[in-house]
Amino acid sequence: MAPRVWKARIAATLLTLGMGYTAMVTGDAAQAVEVLVERSCSGCHGMDGNSATAEFPNLAGQQASYLLREMQDYKEGRRQNEAMAPIMSALSTQDMQQLAAYFARQTPVPGTVNKPGLLALGQRIYLEGNDRSGVPSCEGCHEENGEGSKKFPRLAGQHVPYTLDQIAQYASGQRNNGIRVMRTIAQRLTPEEAEAVAEYMASLK
Amino acid sequence: MKATMMSMLWMALLAPSVHAAEYSRPMADANPDVIRLLAKEGDPAKGKETYGLCRGCHRADASGKAEAGYPQLAGQHATVIMKQMLDVRSGRRDSPRMHPFISDEVVPEEAIAHIAAYLRSLPVPDTNGKGNGRMLALGRQLYQRDCAGCHGKYGEGDGDKFYPRVAGQHEAYLLRESRESRDQGRRNANPGMVRILKGYTDEDLEAVSDYMSRLVPPVP
Ligand code: HEC
Ligand code: HEC
Ligand code: HEC
Ligand code: HEC
Repeated sequence: MAPRVWKARIAATLLTLGMGYTAMVTGDAAQAVEVLVERSCSGCHGMDGNSATAEFPNLAGQQASYLLREMQDYKEGRRQNEAMAPIMSALSTQDMQQLAAYFARQTPVPGTVNKPGLLALGQRIYLEGNDRSGVPSCEGCHEENGEGSKKFPRLAGQHVPYTLDQIAQYASGQRNNGIRVMRTIAQRLTPEEAEAVAEYMASLK
Repeated sequence: MKATMMSMLWMALLAPSVHAAEYSRPMADANPDVIRLLAKEGDPAKGKETYGLCRGCHRADASGKAEAGYPQLAGQHATVIMKQMLDVRSGRRDSPRMHPFISDEVVPEEAIAHIAAYLRSLPVPDTNGKGNGRMLALGRQLYQRDCAGCHGKYGEGDGDKFYPRVAGQHEAYLLRESRESRDQGRRNANPGMVRILKGYTDEDLEAVSDYMSRLVPPVP
């Protein structure tokens, strides 16, 4: 990750949050959430939840239940990230619910595949897992097309660098919110398998 | 009222509580009476949702994967499913590949009976892995003499007594579990069965496993 990029963006974001969001909620709710997104999220995640920088996750089309839970986890310190924590701590549960619904209904743009040569291995891991090391297929929980469900996040079209960073965070135990299955899976993936499956996820629409 | 009863039963079943760190420590049998009672409370609709966690290995139709050693679970007795899950959770049966996915952090206690009811309700696919078919006469002779008393004439098992259904299971899995039971690698194996298997050669095990994988119980 590039902490310098973050620091500048966090500073800018916190400034706008300081302007007092509560005043805005009295207006039209749909418009208010757009104002909030523009001021507090768009710099990193894009106005429509398709982020321009590969270190910042796409949120467009993500499962609303997952978005909400992750925001709450950042706020309460169960998922740790120096960019997200200060932004979330300024939001109420109601704000988060509206933001989750907003990003869930945005249309995701197709992801970027960097190494097409890895797609065949990535597809095998995604659909079949690795029997010897005990990696279950990703499709079992995240669905064949990567759209996820109420219980499991969407993976389709996600940025490869973000995915690899998360897999590394799971493997090291730095990310340990939610149920623990991803930690086991990340520890069992070889670096090559992780990269390949990340490329395959990016190729899913 | 019912909810309190259920949670009291769970306490009886699981006490003393086991932590992940104690995973490899063998512990006393999960209470069979409690499992039998709880199995009746399982709700297949609820179990279907939690089974999502297992699909990545045991497949969506619970047919498992012969070449991976992932057993078929469809149509297995609910009590058998519950006992095996509890044995793995408590460390009475080793399953290093599966354990992290069915530990109590991931699968809540109440969900076990529901998953079991769901799996029991599924049709048994006949696409299971089978052996080479060369020793089926020997397999039949051994099975009907030594195994049918517990696993049933047609391999249907007996849920009330925790005897697994073996009919239609993958041959590779049956062979491995019989061998592990004989050589005492499977620690929760039935002692009466182990005594019989001790007299079996590797060839006997192959013959009987192939035979079991081809059994089809009559539809009731
Ligand atoms: C300064 C840049 C920045 C801003 C502004 C920002 N985020 Fe984030 N966001 C990130 C980064 C970086 C991550 C990944 C962090 C990690 O590794 O956990 C992230 C992760 C997330 C996640 C988890 C995504 C997933 O797939 O797990 C959600 C949800 C999220 N942000 C929502 C928001 C919302 C809503 C806002 C506006 C209120 C916002 N973010 C503003 C940088 C930012
Ligand atoms: C047993 C179910 C299960 C399986 C199988 C599974 N996952 Fe996950 N995955 C989850 C859950 C649940 C989450 C949500 C976070 C959490 O609770 O840890 C998640 C989250 C993720 C995330 C983070 C998403 C984000 O936006 O930050 C990635 C990346 C991921 N999984 C990749 C994979 C890959 C790759 C595979 C296959 C090798 C896989 N998963 C298999 C359950 C599963
Ligand atoms: C990582 C792959 C994997 C996952 C995920 C997994 N299992 Fe298993 N399961 C296995 C393997 C392998 C065995 C055979 C025992 C062994 O050798 O470890 C097994 C055996 C079993 C058995 C014993 C069957 C018998 O006939 O004795 C049951 C019951 C079972 N699994 C249920 C589940 C349930 C329920 C889930 C989900 C909550 C699940 N498994 C998730 C790999 C997995
Ligand atoms: C005294 C009753 C009894 C007899 C006789 C018996 N079994 Fe078993 N068998 C069991 C029980 C009980 C289990 C489950 C053990 C446990 O709880 O883990 C079992 C489990 C098995 C399994 C593992 C099934 C699974 O789904 O994991 C195989 C394979 C097996 N038996 C093969 C045989 C063969 C072959 C014979 C005859 C040579 C035989 N058994 C005779 C009681 C018996």
